[in-house]
Amino acid sequence: MAAQIAREWSGIQQFPVATQNKLHELLGKLKLENVSTLTILLMGKGGVGKSSTVNSILGERVATVNAFQSEGLRPMMCSRTRAGFTLNIIDTPGLVEGGYVNEQAIEIIKRFLLNKIIDVLLYVDRLDAYRVDSLDKQIIKAITDTFGKRIWQRSLVVLTHAQLSPPDGLNYDEFFNKRSETLLKCIRSGARINKQEFEDFPIHVALVENSGRCNTNADGEKILPGGTAWIPQLVEVITTVIANGSKPIMVDQKLIEGPNPNERGKFFIPLILAFQFVILDAAFFLPWVEAVDTKGNAGVLVRVEPRHIAPTQLRI
Amino acid sequence: MAAQIAREWSGIQQFPVATQNKLHELLGKLKLENVSTLTILLMGKGGVGKSSTVNSILGERVATVNAFQSEGLRPMMCSRTRAGFTLNIIDTPGLVEGGYVNEQAIEIIKRFLLNKIIDVLLYVDRLDAYRVDSLDKQIIKAITDTFGKRIWQRSLVVLTHAQLSPPDGLNYDEFFNKRSETLLKCIRSGARINKQEFEDFPIHVALVENSGRCNTNADGEKILPGGTAWIPQLVEVITTVIANGSKPIMVDQKLIEGPNPNERGKFFIPLILAFQYFFIIKGIQRAIKRDIETESRPAWELRDMGLAEGRF
Repeated sequence: MAAQIAREWSGIQQFPVATQNKLHELLGKLKLENVSTLTILLMGKGGVGKSSTVNSILGERVATVNAFQSEGLRPMMCSRTRAGFTLNIIDTPGLVEGGYVNEQAIEIIKRFLLNKIIDVLLYVDRLDAYRVDSLDKQIIKAITDTFGKRIWQRSLVVLTHAQLSPPDGLNYDEFFNKRSETLLKCIRSGARINKQEFEDFPIHVALVENSGRCNTNADGEKILPGGTAWIPQLVEVITTVIANGSKPIMVDQKLIEGPNPNERGKFFIPLILAFQFVILDAAFFLPWVEAVDTKGNAGVLVRVEPRHIAPTQLRI
Repeated sequence: MAAQIAREWSGIQQFPVATQNKLHELLGKLKLENVSTLTILLMGKGGVGKSSTVNSILGERVATVNAFQSEGLRPMMCSRTRAGFTLNIIDTPGLVEGGYVNEQAIEIIKRFLLNKIIDVLLYVDRLDAYRVDSLDKQIIKAITDTFGKRIWQRSLVVLTHAQLSPPDGLNYDEFFNKRSETLLKCIRSGARINKQEFEDFPIHVALVENSGRCNTNADGEKILPGGTAWIPQLVEVITTVIANGSKPIMVDQKLIEGPNPNERGKFFIPLILAFQYFFIIKGIQRAIKRDIETESRPAWELRDMGLAEGRF
């Protein structure tokens, strides 16, 4: 588990001046709100572009990117400082392995994140994927089970390969909207976010194009097909999410272990015991009769229990 | 299960003249070898471009293509004739559903294919996919279990989205080679094709770009980034596969039901019975007789058996 010592965010100087200015502006805003450190966690399937996105944001090749192979099960945190602001980016292994959610990867990620505070979760997927199925829902469930439902108040969806040519019959915006809608529906369903919660904390979708072929504008900034420079836009969406009133996720032992199953329904134990006592005592079922007790007094109300009955003694 | 009556392959006239000529040439070659009908089966995961490829080959929108939704579990066969040659293309539903091989889809496909002869299997996947994992291997295994290992002698791999810009650091050919290599390794592994079999019947990889944005050459033919017109090239690879000496796959009841597990190892039953009789039963009987002779009986038992000779 390689964690690197916080170094100067030198990669920011790789960016065109226009991008640098916007980034500095956004970091300045964060510091005005007393936010001087930001921890970003990236999660998603394998091969979608998490490591590439990390490299793009930091402006340097910190994560090895291999088109054909997963990098193994090691999460990695990169810390960079700039003008008193610390950025921690955590890259994780893909959560899916051969059609299954990789529980081992989740355990390793949990252990890696112990005692860290997560400010933002970036759920990464490809823009040019055409199917959202129950596997995606399983991944969402796994993330929800790991961090709790609250993580989704501090998340955004990142779609990579943004510089795509849409399929025939759809223009780019139509395709993007439908893709986002389908994915967000999956997230709402998998994380069981109801309508009100989703309106209070809507999940934004950001576009990202990590390849060197990304088109650039006159200032040299990498732009999306719509013309927006995507690196500042991504950082801006992140700052919006932080300021939405939700709390960051503290990954403590309790969160990781999850709720103790022994605690569940403990409340009912005394109630059930009481109920059983009443039943076994049979107060409910046996009749009360007037009888004569052993001293000969009449009119004594007695519950009829088997041991009481001797035929000669009972006068009803 | 919509099967359409064989109609005139009018879609071929949609193609540029150069493509039409090449296709007519290839069809002519097939007829010289007495092949007047060709049944092509497409299989693969969902969303990879099987239906789009069918539409591209036929030159008309026979299969509904929806970027976001699978079309349901119906296989579909399209038949088209041209100058005495009949082309049957069978489009199937995606074999993967939510991380699992969809056994129900396989059953439906099997039932659809009953009594048909498959000349070529096109295993379709995307060129721009970056991971090959055990799920792909499961799909290959499922196909192998359904049709038998021989299907791979009559298959080729079709990679869609061919007009891709490769990831940073790799040029197109490097990326294509590595992608093909990884996928073919998966097929060899999942279908248990050994080295010799693979050399005898190598599996070709064809590139396909189904979108309207496909680049075209001077003749108006849709071309790959390398410059080759891909529709004639695909048909050419298909004709190569047909002529490689393997036999087409007849999908009969026996193939579909698979080997009868009761037949397996039946040969051993008499052998095991003989072994049990001669070595075990006989051995036990001999041991019993020996024990009978050598045992010393107590006196009362001898008396009961009349052997005590008056000792009592």
